[in-house]
This record gives sequence, structure tokens and C-alpha cells, in this order.
Amino acid sequence: MTQPAFGRRQAMTLAAGAGLAAVARDAQAQAVTLSAWTGYPELVPFYNAAGEAYAKLNPGFKLTVFSTSLREHEQKLAAAMPTGTGPDLFDVGQILSINLIEAGLIPANPPAVDAQLKASYRPASVDQFSISGKSYGLPMLFSTPVLFWNRAMFKEAGLPGAPETFGEMMDYAKKLVRFDSTGKMTRSGMSLRLSGQGSGITEKWRFVLEPAGGSVIKRHPSGKYSQNYDNAAGRAALQYYIDAVQVHKVDDPRVQRDAAAFVAGNTGMLFREAWVIGEIQKQNPSLDFDVAQIPAWTAGQPKKTLLQHNGLYVSGKSRNQAAAFAFMQFLTNPENSAMLTQTSGWVAARKDVDWTGLVSRIPQYKGFVAPPADMQYYLEPVLGPWNEIQTRIADQLPAAFVDPTLNGNPTKVGETIKRWAAQTDALLKEAGLFGTA
Amino acid sequence: MTAARRFLTKRRVLLFCYIALAPVLALFLYVRVIPIGFGVWLSFHKWNLLSPAKPFVGLLNYQLLMEDENFHLALWNTTLYSFSTVILSTAIALPLAVFLARRSRLSAFYQTIYFLPVITPMVPVSIAWKWIYDYNYGILNYGLGLLGIKSVAWLSDPDTALWALVIMGVWKVLGYNMVLFLVGIRNIPAMYLEAASLDGANAWQRFWRVTFPLLRPILLYVLVTSTINAYNVFTQVYVMTLGSQAAPGQAVRMLVFDIYTNGFQFFRFGYAAAEAVTLTLIVLGLTVIQFSLARNDPTREK
Repeated sequence: MTQPAFGRRQAMTLAAGAGLAAVARDAQAQAVTLSAWTGYPELVPFYNAAGEAYAKLNPGFKLTVFSTSLREHEQKLAAAMPTGTGPDLFDVGQILSINLIEAGLIPANPPAVDAQLKASYRPASVDQFSISGKSYGLPMLFSTPVLFWNRAMFKEAGLPGAPETFGEMMDYAKKLVRFDSTGKMTRSGMSLRLSGQGSGITEKWRFVLEPAGGSVIKRHPSGKYSQNYDNAAGRAALQYYIDAVQVHKVDDPRVQRDAAAFVAGNTGMLFREAWVIGEIQKQNPSLDFDVAQIPAWTAGQPKKTLLQHNGLYVSGKSRNQAAAFAFMQFLTNPENSAMLTQTSGWVAARKDVDWTGLVSRIPQYKGFVAPPADMQYYLEPVLGPWNEIQTRIADQLPAAFVDPTLNGNPTKVGETIKRWAAQTDALLKEAGLFGTA
Repeated sequence: MTAARRFLTKRRVLLFCYIALAPVLALFLYVRVIPIGFGVWLSFHKWNLLSPAKPFVGLLNYQLLMEDENFHLALWNTTLYSFSTVILSTAIALPLAVFLARRSRLSAFYQTIYFLPVITPMVPVSIAWKWIYDYNYGILNYGLGLLGIKSVAWLSDPDTALWALVIMGVWKVLGYNMVLFLVGIRNIPAMYLEAASLDGANAWQRFWRVTFPLLRPILLYVLVTSTINAYNVFTQVYVMTLGSQAAPGQAVRMLVFDIYTNGFQFFRFGYAAAEAVTLTLIVLGLTVIQFSLARNDPTREK
């Protein structure tokens, strides 16, 4: 009797070997290391926690997180993405993402991610993340400014509650501001963005401009844009700042400013986003404060605020795109969205997050996660030159706020606004986006 | 040795020199000449970092630069900053060096003190100065207050912000200039000064007629390097305009900062390159002027 070429033992050995090879292959397929970059250092604990949770569900998964300041993050992305040396996954504002999308460096969402966007986010978010019928990335967090007001100072000044109009806000600020015996301001009535450089100055000016009825640019039916602040609203918004600094002296570029001033109890009112609550919890938990909607320009007019998204995107040059998209979906599920807000202070963008626990613990979050139904939002235009448009206006604003020749001189205020507006239109023209019809 | 042999030996020496220099020259070519050449080439293109299309636009970037208000402002601010910093730092460093050139027990100590800012990295120094200049909590205003002088909004006032940077710039570079002058003074042969003394020259005459003319090469070096460094001011501008508690950007807008903004914020690398080339030409022109003014003129040395 001759022995068969393959005995049972050999066959079993081969089968076991093939099985092991398949397991090893699967394990290799699952062993993926993703790199994530963020411009918000306060999000690093969130990324790490989500990465660890995901690794438990997907053995072999590893996440490395790199974080720098927001501006550096944007610059690093801009330099690294075209050369393929960027991360697999990153978060960034739409001020930059639109440039990356236009350059073909961010791929359109696969069907599963597209479906998640359409099912789990508000229409405004879906619209912001869609271009020419395709969606790109997922909204990660919202940035909606509100009015922070110091309850203790209001009580001390005999003020009933948050102002309803910008006129009231100025009147309240006059009662809140404090000076020392030499006339030096020791506490501002309201803290406006009056100094520094960069697009943030214009972004904050828009908090006044938009309720006044203007906007930096306006979209026309043709899909083209033109400036929309060389008008009564633009002049009024600039005048409001000039009045605050030069006429009523309720704010001063020399005193402590912005969130630092509010957290330290050195200003009565401030327009800012939810992350300030996190700062207060960390640095001055006994601060007696509340949040309210940004006032209406005049009584009866709508209350408006900016709805700004920070998105999560997968790099078009990532070698792990499928894994990155899958992890992006995990990062933005309802549980992780709640964790994002709890760990960082930023409000997650999903509409189906259960905020009950957070609001019962920190009631001030209600103003962000459950805003009043009549709140009107204006959006960040998703345009290539938007950053430059805002920055160019921001270059001019700080000097104008303190320019004594603009005080009581509406003609010069009008001329100043006209000059800036012409520059805005010029930038739109250069980008082929200008039109008035 | 025959002429042919001498010629061969000379050629071998030359060949050896070229071979020995080759690695350094290659490195210089790679890290200096090629990037500069690429920068010049970029300046003739509409080169957006993220856009795949990078068309040749000839001199358009230069033309737009000439019409750009920010560029004009940055050029004016940088020139004002540079001239002020160079003149003040030189004018203070020279007498300091003369004073410290005298052998004394504390001379080394003072030299170290004045040189410390030079070796301190710019970012922490800028942050420290931002606090020194703070209107409410700054030590400078505290000191002025003790003298009965009202607080000054050094950074947030557009009229003083640039001068605040000049003060910091002078403080930073003073020690470097002083050490260079000190080396120059100590290298002047003592017999020249002794001879002048024997001829009845007083201290001022010895300085003005002997020391200062002999320091001319050092002075030229100080002026050239200080001017180049001053025109390249960036870090302190970036740090001091960062955040809401900062100087108004336009008040301290400088050329390198403007280049950085156009390049890394607006991704207009072609335009930023045109600005960088213009800055190079300006600094080059100033250096040539300084050389021609400060070079030794034998016809005057009679």
C-alpha cells in the first residue's frame, strides 16, 4: 500500500497554518496607528481617552496625538498636507479647511460618514460641511459666543439682569466700570477686543455688526459676494466701539482684557464661547456669573450670534483613510461628544447628545446646549479668502477704536468704513468671488 | 625649480584648496544659494501654498507690493525701528566699552551682566518684556509710579508700542556691540595712546583722535550686523502682538512679520517671496552705503 501524498496529519497541519496565517493577517489589518493633530491643547485628554476606548474595541489600534497653538497648528497643516507629511486625522476651523478641500487635500466623505452627517447634525452644520453636493469631514464642536455677565457686579450696581439691547449694555457698562483715585480704569464695564492682531478682532466686531444689521460680506443670488458693512450697520458697529472707549469710557485697551479679565473678575461683561466656563471652573470656581444671549441691536429686533464650526477631517494623503474615517465616526458618537464637552468645555456639535447631566452640574451650559428657539445664527462663510478678508479689517480696527479724530466725526467714520470695504471687495475680486447681483 | 614645475605645484595647491572647500561650498549652495534663488523664482509666480496652479506672473507681485499699504507701513516701522535700535545701541555700547576697557575688578562682572541678554532666547525674553510693559502689573510702570510718573500703556498705545520694541531691541543687542568694541579697544597698541599723551592730548582727544579712528573697522562691522539683524526683527513682534492683551498689530507691523502673514496666514508665498527679495535688496543697499561711508579713505589720512 502506498502512502497518500498528503496524510491527515499533514492536511491538519496545513489547515492550522493557514488559519494562523489568516489570524495574523487580520491582526495585521487591525494593527493601525493613526496620528491626530489638534489646534486645541485642551482637547488632548479627550483624544487620548477616546483613543484608549477605541483600542479596547479594536485591538492593535493606536493613536498618537500632537497639539500646538491654533495658529501654529494651521500653519503646520498648511505646510504638511500638500507634502503628505501631515496627520491621518485632524481638527481645524473652516477658515483653513476650505483651502484644503479646494486643493484636493481633504477627500469627500464615504457614504457611511455622509449618512452620519445628515442624520446626526443640524441642517446648518450639514450645509456648512457640504460643497457642491459632496460632504467633507464631520462637525466636531460649536463655537457660539454668548454674553457672560458677572452676577455679583450686577447686583452691586443694582442692575436687574443681562441687558436686552446694545443700548442697555452700554448703560449697564457705565454703572459697572470702576476707576481708581487717579482716574485709572481698574475694572471695565464690558470687555471688547480692542488690541492685538489677527482675524479674531474682526470676528468679535461682527458680534456687534451682525445684530446691527450688517455683515462683513453678503452672498447674492448669483452665488457671488460683496462687502456688506459700508452701510448704516457698519458705521454703527464701529461707532459703538468708539463710544465704549472714547465717549463713555467703559472699556480701555490698557486694562486686562478678554476671558482672563472676566475670570479674574476684572470686567462686568464679555462676549465669548463655552470654553470660558471651563476656565472659570479651573481658575475661579467661586465666580458668580451667568450667560445670556448676545443682546438685540434695539428692542424688538432679533438676537443673533455666530455659529462657527470646528471640523474633524481625514487627510487625503493618509495611508489609513478607512481606519481614520471609522475612528472619526467613533470620536463623534453621542457618548464621546458628551465627554468632549465635559473634558474641554467646548460644546460638541451633534444634535442628539444628552446634556442633562452636564446642565444639572453646571447650569450655565444651558445657554450653549439648549439656546432659546428665537436665537438667530449667522454662519462663517466657507470661502478661501475669508481669513484674509477678516485679517485685513482686523489690521485697521484697533487704531480706529482709539483714534480721537473719529470721535464725534460721523463723516470720517463713514470714510474709514468705505476704505476698508473697498479692500474687502478687492480681495473678493481677486478670488473671482465678487458680484453684486 | 622650473617654471613648468612651479606651475604644476601651484595647480596642485589650487586643486587641493578647491577639494577641501567643496563640502562647505556644497553645503552653502544647498542651504543658502539655492533657497535664495528659489525665493527669487517664487516671487515671479502666483504661488499659493495649497493651490496646485502656480502661474508665472512676472513682476506683478512687485507691482502689487508697491501699492500695498501694509508693506509701506511695515517698511516705515522697520526702518524707524532699525535706525533707532542701531544708533542707540551703538551710541551706548561704545562709551560703555571705553569705560569697561579700563582694568578693574568689576569689569568682567559688568561685561557678563551686559552680555546676558544676548544669549537669552528671544521668546522668553519677549514674554518677560510683555509683562515688564504691562500697564497694570508691569514693573516698569511700578518703578515710574515710585517716581511720581503716570503709568504708560507701553504696548497697547499705538504711539508708544514701537518705541517699547526699540527699548527692548537696544537692551538685547547692547552687550554684543559692547563686547565687539571692547575687543577692538583692547587691540589698539598702547604705544599709540602713550604717544598721544606725550604729545599732550587729553582723554577726549585720545579717544577722538586715536581710539575712534582705529575702531572704524569694528564700527563698520557693528553697524552692518546690527542693521541686518534689526531689519529682520520678528520674534518679539510676533509675541507682543499675540493675544488680546497685546500691542495693536499695525503699530508694530514690521517687514518680516508682514512676510510671515502673507506667506503662512494667507498662503501667498509668491507675494511673500517678492517682499523678502525687496527686504534683501534694501538691506544690501544699506550695507553698501555703510561700507562706502565707513571704509578707510587713504586720501584723508595725512
